[in-house]
Order: sequence, then structure tokens, then C-alpha cells
Amino acid sequence: MIQTHNLTKTFDKFTAVADLSLTVEAGEIFAFLGPNGAGKTTTMRMLACLIAPTSGQATVAGLRVGHDDDAIRARIGILTEAPGLYEKLNAVQNLDFFARLYGLDAATRAKQIARYLDILGLGERQQEPVGNFSKGMKQKLSIARALLHEPQVVFFDEPTSALDPESAKVVRDFIAELKSEGRTIFLCTHNLDEADRLADRVGVFKQHLIQVDTPENLRRKLYGQRVLFRVRDLTDASKRALAALAFARDIQFNGDTISIALDAPDEMTPRVVNALVDAGAALCEVRPERASLEEVYLDLVKTEPLQ
Amino acid sequence: MKPYRVFAVLRREMQEIVKSRGLLLAIFLPALFLTLLPLGGIAFLGRALDNVSSGDAQDFARLLTMMPELKTWSAGEVASYVILEQFLTMFLMMPLIISLSLASQSVISEKQTKSLEPLLATPIRTSELLLGKGLTAMLPALLATWVAFLIFLLAGRLLIDSPRVYSSLLQPKWLVAMLALAPLLSLLSVSITVVLSSRVNDARTVQQIGGFVVLPIVILGVAQTVGLLLLNVTTFVIGAIILAAADLLILRLGVRLFQREKILTRWK
Repeated sequence: MIQTHNLTKTFDKFTAVADLSLTVEAGEIFAFLGPNGAGKTTTMRMLACLIAPTSGQATVAGLRVGHDDDAIRARIGILTEAPGLYEKLNAVQNLDFFARLYGLDAATRAKQIARYLDILGLGERQQEPVGNFSKGMKQKLSIARALLHEPQVVFFDEPTSALDPESAKVVRDFIAELKSEGRTIFLCTHNLDEADRLADRVGVFKQHLIQVDTPENLRRKLYGQRVLFRVRDLTDASKRALAALAFARDIQFNGDTISIALDAPDEMTPRVVNALVDAGAALCEVRPERASLEEVYLDLVKTEPLQ
Repeated sequence: MKPYRVFAVLRREMQEIVKSRGLLLAIFLPALFLTLLPLGGIAFLGRALDNVSSGDAQDFARLLTMMPELKTWSAGEVASYVILEQFLTMFLMMPLIISLSLASQSVISEKQTKSLEPLLATPIRTSELLLGKGLTAMLPALLATWVAFLIFLLAGRLLIDSPRVYSSLLQPKWLVAMLALAPLLSLLSVSITVVLSSRVNDARTVQQIGGFVVLPIVILGVAQTVGLLLLNVTTFVIGAIILAAADLLILRLGVRLFQREKILTRWK
């Protein structure tokens, strides 16, 4: 649904995005992670045909960026970082304006506006000036605005930033619902927990693409697969038994907890359990150790200085 | 160009104007002031006419040289004529001032509220957006100018005693002024606003800088009063041609400066 090949954007002498080659599949939630100034918003703006690439190619919904810009804009929805609403107008007037720009007829406009105001819980306050709305309500209204014309591809730039946890959850749930409708979602975010929960794949980006994979594969690539074993009264006999297991790598002890890197956890975990039990250990808990996406992200980004 | 998108912009801008006390004042205050002032002037002139001595007509000697038909008029009538001409010139400031206020508010407020990015992410073209905004600034300004001029003509019929003086209000040059110069002046305000908005961040600064465009009109009025220039149909038509050319140039510059990429990456 989205493809880029060596997509590059420079502003004067500053390179904001360098040689980005990326594929986002239809119906996928792709989280684009990176620190401030990494070029995430610039990438999103290029794909939304708001700014022109300096070099490279990109297609969105099968249409070429730089050639079919009007057609692309008609097929995408975008949630910008700032809501950018007309604060003197009410919710219906704000949405009606955008629905008209997308060329929706009167009946479709009315239906779509009512639908999204209802889904996003804004129906009761639809006649109030948007200036009276909370940040969360404005964000929801901006999301409704991005979806009125039922776009195939939706770009979200920091959709939950500055929202309270309750509003953030509503927005996250809604993004998940959009995926279930088969839309492709390109999510620029700092919120790693959000990316971890929502995204099928993440791209870690700092001017260029550092890594792209599923959150799980990224963890695996960086940290291998580790399994935690918690025993009661860890003894030297247990430690010796573990040391004797050739396949158990990088064994770390922390109190009664043992963390072991295993290449094939499904096959090797029972063998570790047997070894510990044979050594007389009282096994209390066995579970896979999962590095947070935050740890993965920080490890990836810290080695990549901004140019 | 899709007219429905232009109309959507126009419609939304009008909704905002109706809800903004400041913008409504920006339309009605100049219209009210520039209508009441000439009407008051006419009422005052009616009483003052009798007190003007025939010798005072010599003060307009140069004007009389350019307009020999006025030589048969009484001094009071010539004085009234000159002052009415001055007032009528002021009507040409109305489309300038009102359009400048509306256009600067329209463009700059989009900049300040960051509403341009979602707007530019729709299929709207820059030309459609600018046309919609331009019409928003021009239509109320022209409507206010024409209504004010009509009120002035109707009230003048009642307040001006001299038929010769009143008939001067019905000269073809004022038709040219209202139907050609007023729209072109209004467009000038819009074009200047578009150019300035690429460099300036608040509406007041745009209005202050753009306000200088009223100077040429004031100069024209004064030039006629002191007899340096005669404002007739020919000068108004020439003025309209020059203005149209200036509008075209400034508008082209404005459109060149008003580019999506620059707006999004350089407008702070």
C-alpha cells in the first residue's frame, strides 16, 4: 500500500530523510518510531503529498507521489500533530467543511458526520464551538475529520500525545478498530507502549531507517530469546547443573531468579527445568523474558547520532 | 479547478466571519464611517453654501481651468463639488480597508491555528484555496461599498439642494470607480495580504503594512482638490488598467510565495 525507494528530503544543507526504502502492506499498522527531529513528520508529509521529495520515489495506494498528488490526497486521511480545527465553528461545521472538500454529497456528508461523531463520543456536543472542547475531544474530532471520506490509508502523527490516559485509550482502541476494517495505518509516535500494542511492524528511524520488523522480532534480534526461571533457595548444585548445559548461553543470576538465553526456547526450556529439578531446586516460576520495546528502541537509537 | 471546493472555503470563511465580532466590526465600521461622514458633510454643506462668497471660487482656479464647465457654477456649488469629490474618493478606500482586514485575518489565522496542514492534505488546490479566501475578503467588502454608495446617492438626493451638484454624483466615472476600481482595489488588498503573509505572523502587522495602499487614493483626492489632476472617466479607466496589471503581478508573486511546502516548513 505504501512503498518508498531511496526517498530523500533535504532542506538547504540539512538532510531530514535519507534514502528511505520501505514497504507497508495493505491492512497493516506500521509504527514509525524515532526521536524528535528524526524526520518522521517530514516522511509523513512527503507520503501525504504535502511536501515534495528531493529524490527517490514513493507510491501510496498504487499512485506515484509527485505525479498523482491530488488523487493520493483524495485517498488518504491524515491526523496532523496539531489538531488545526476552526475553533469558532462547531464540530459539525468543521467536519462538513472537510467533507465538502472531499466532494461528498449532502446525504453522505450528513451520514458520515453523524457516524463518526457517534463512534468517537462527540455527538452530544456537536453544536458547541470547538474552542470549548478539551484536548482529547479536539483530537477525536481531528480523527473524525481524517476519516470522513473513508480513506484507504490513514496517517497518524502522534495521535495520543498530550491526551489523558482515558482519551488515549479511546484513540488507541479506535486505531485498532480501523485496522480491523482493513485500512492501512502509518503511525508516527514517540509512545513505544502504543507502538508495541498496536503495530504489526515498527520502523526505527533517525534520518534513515535503522531497523524494521515486528516488535517481537526486534526484541529477538537484539536480545535473543531469554527465559526466566525463579527457584526457591538457589544452590551451588543448581548453578553447576546449569553451567553443564552447553546450549544455555549468557546465564545471569539475580537473587533467586535465573535468566538464560536460549536459541530454541520451546525445545530447551524443558531441559533446563529437568536439570534444575534433578539438582534439587524447587522451581517456582518459568516464563519468557520480554525486553520492552523501549529498551530495544533506545539501544537502536543511541548508536545512531543525528547527522 | 473544482468550484465546489472554492465554495466550501467561501462558506466556511463566512461562517467564521458571522461568529467573529471583530471581523463583523471590520466590515461594518469602515462602511458606517465612510457613509456617515459624507452624509454629514452634505448636510453641513447645504447650510454653508450660502456663506461662500463668489471670490472664494478663485481658490479652485486650477480646477476651473481643467473643468471649464464649472465656471458658470456659484462659488458655493464649486466648493460643494470639490468636497463631494473628496468624499467619493473615500469610498474607494472601503474595499481596500475591509478586504485587507478580512484577508489578513483569514490567511494569518490559518497560520496561527495550524489549520492549514490538514486543509492542504485534502485534494484542494492552492488556486482553489486562494480563490475561496480571496472571494471571502472581496465579496463583503464590495457589497458594503456598493450598499454604502447607494445609500449615499439616495440620501444625497434629499440633502443636496443644487441639482447641478447632485448630478455630479451620477457621472459615469463613479460607475467605473464602483464597478471596476473597487473590485480591483479589493483584489489588491487580497494580493498584498497573500504576499505579506509569507513573511509576517500576525494579522495586525499585515494590516499596518498593507494599510499603506490607501495612500495613493488619498494622494489622488488631494491632487484633484489642488488642481494637479482631474479625476474623470479617462483617468479612472487608465487607473483601472494600471491597477489590473499591478494586481496581476502581485497576485502572481503571492501565489508563487504561497506554496504548500513553504507554508508547512517555513511558516512558524
